[in-house]
Amino acid sequence: MRVGTNHLEMDELLALRDGEGGASARAHVEACEGCQQELERLYQVRAQLRALSGFAPPRGLWPRVARHVRRRRRLRRRLGYGAVGLAAAAALAGVYVVNDATRGPPAEPLEAWVIEAESQDLGPMISRSRELESLLQTYRPASQVYDAPTALAVSVLEDRILLLDRLLSDSRQLGVKRELLRDLWGERVETLETLVNLELAEPETVWR
Amino acid sequence: MRSDALTVASALVAQAREGDLKALESVYLAYQNAVYNLGRRICGNEEDAEDVLQDTFLEVCRSIGKFRGEGSLWGWIRQVAVSKALMLLRRERNRKIHFFGETGGLPEFVGNMPREPAGPIDLETALGRLPPVTRAVLWLHDVEGYTHEEIGQLMGKTASFSKSQLSRAHRRLREWLE
Ligand SMILES: [Zn+2]
Repeated sequence: MRVGTNHLEMDELLALRDGEGGASARAHVEACEGCQQELERLYQVRAQLRALSGFAPPRGLWPRVARHVRRRRRLRRRLGYGAVGLAAAAALAGVYVVNDATRGPPAEPLEAWVIEAESQDLGPMISRSRELESLLQTYRPASQVYDAPTALAVSVLEDRILLLDRLLSDSRQLGVKRELLRDLWGERVETLETLVNLELAEPETVWR
Repeated sequence: MRSDALTVASALVAQAREGDLKALESVYLAYQNAVYNLGRRICGNEEDAEDVLQDTFLEVCRSIGKFRGEGSLWGWIRQVAVSKALMLLRRERNRKIHFFGETGGLPEFVGNMPREPAGPIDLETALGRLPPVTRAVLWLHDVEGYTHEEIGQLMGKTASFSKSQLSRAHRRLREWLE
C-alpha cells in the first residue's frame, strides 16, 4: 500500500473519479487528505467544464446547406441516380452518347452556362462530359450500396463536380478567363472519368 | 453541450428520411446548437466550428435515410459531428506539419506551443491553451461521456493514448487554474 508522500498520479486519480481505480489507490485516498483534495478538484473541474456556457451558432447557415443539398440532388439525378430501368436506359444510351440534342431529350434542360461554354469552342470537352454523365446515367443502378471507402470516394468526387459546376456557372460574373475556363472543364471531365472508372470498372464488387 | 433532452418528433424524422427539406431544416434547427458547440469545443475556433456544423448537416441530409432509428437521432448526429470535427483537427495538424516540418515532438504540440500563463487563468482560457488533441480528448471524455476505448477508436489510436491525453489535460489545468 502507498504511504507517506507517495501520492497518487493524475491517471490514478482520474481512474478513481471514473469509478475504475484499483483497491490500493482507493485505500490511499481514504487515508490521504492531499489526494482527497486532488480528487475533489477533479470532480469540480469536470462539473465546471459541463457548466461552461455555450456559443451561438452562426445565423443563416441552413440556406447554404439546403442549396448544396439541392445541387447535389440535381447532379445525382443527372448522373443517373434516378429510377431509369437498365433496358430503357440502354436504348437511350445511343442518343446521349452521341450528344445530339435533336435525337432525344437531354437529361435536364440545358443550363445557360453550358450553352454559353459550348459556343466558346469548349464543345469537345462538353461532349465528353455529357458522354460520361450518360454512361453513369445508363449503367448506374437505381439504388446501390457501396462499401465505406468507395462511398467516401464517390461523395468526394461528386462534391468536386458540384464545386466545379458552381464555379463554371458563375464564370461570367467572376470574369473567369478562357484558359481557366478550359482548365475547369478539363478538370470536370477528369473527375467524371474517375467517377466512371470507380463505378463501372468492377460493378459486381461495387454494387452489392 | 448535452442534448439528450432534445427530441425531434418521430413523424418529422420520417419525413426527413424521405428527404423532405422542410423536415431536415427542423432537424437542423433542433441540433445546430449542440453540433456547433461540439465543433467549437473540439476544434477550438469559430471558423472550424462553422465547418463542422455545415459538413455535419450535409452528411445528415445525405445519409439520414440510412439512420435506422436504433438509438437516438442525436446519438447518430453527434457521431457524425465528432468525426467531422476530428477530421478537421487532423487536417489542420497535417497542414501545420507540412508547413513547419516534422518537429520530432509529440504531434499534438505542433503549431500550438502552449504559452506559459503569467498567473492563474479561467477555465475557458485554459481550454484554449491546451494542445488541440488534448483538448478534444478532455471534452469528449469529461463532457460528452465517451469512453477511452471509443475515443481511441475515433482517433485511430489506443485507449491508453486517450487516457494519457486526459491525464495531460488535467495536469495542465491543475497548473493553470489556481
Ligand atoms: Zn496522497
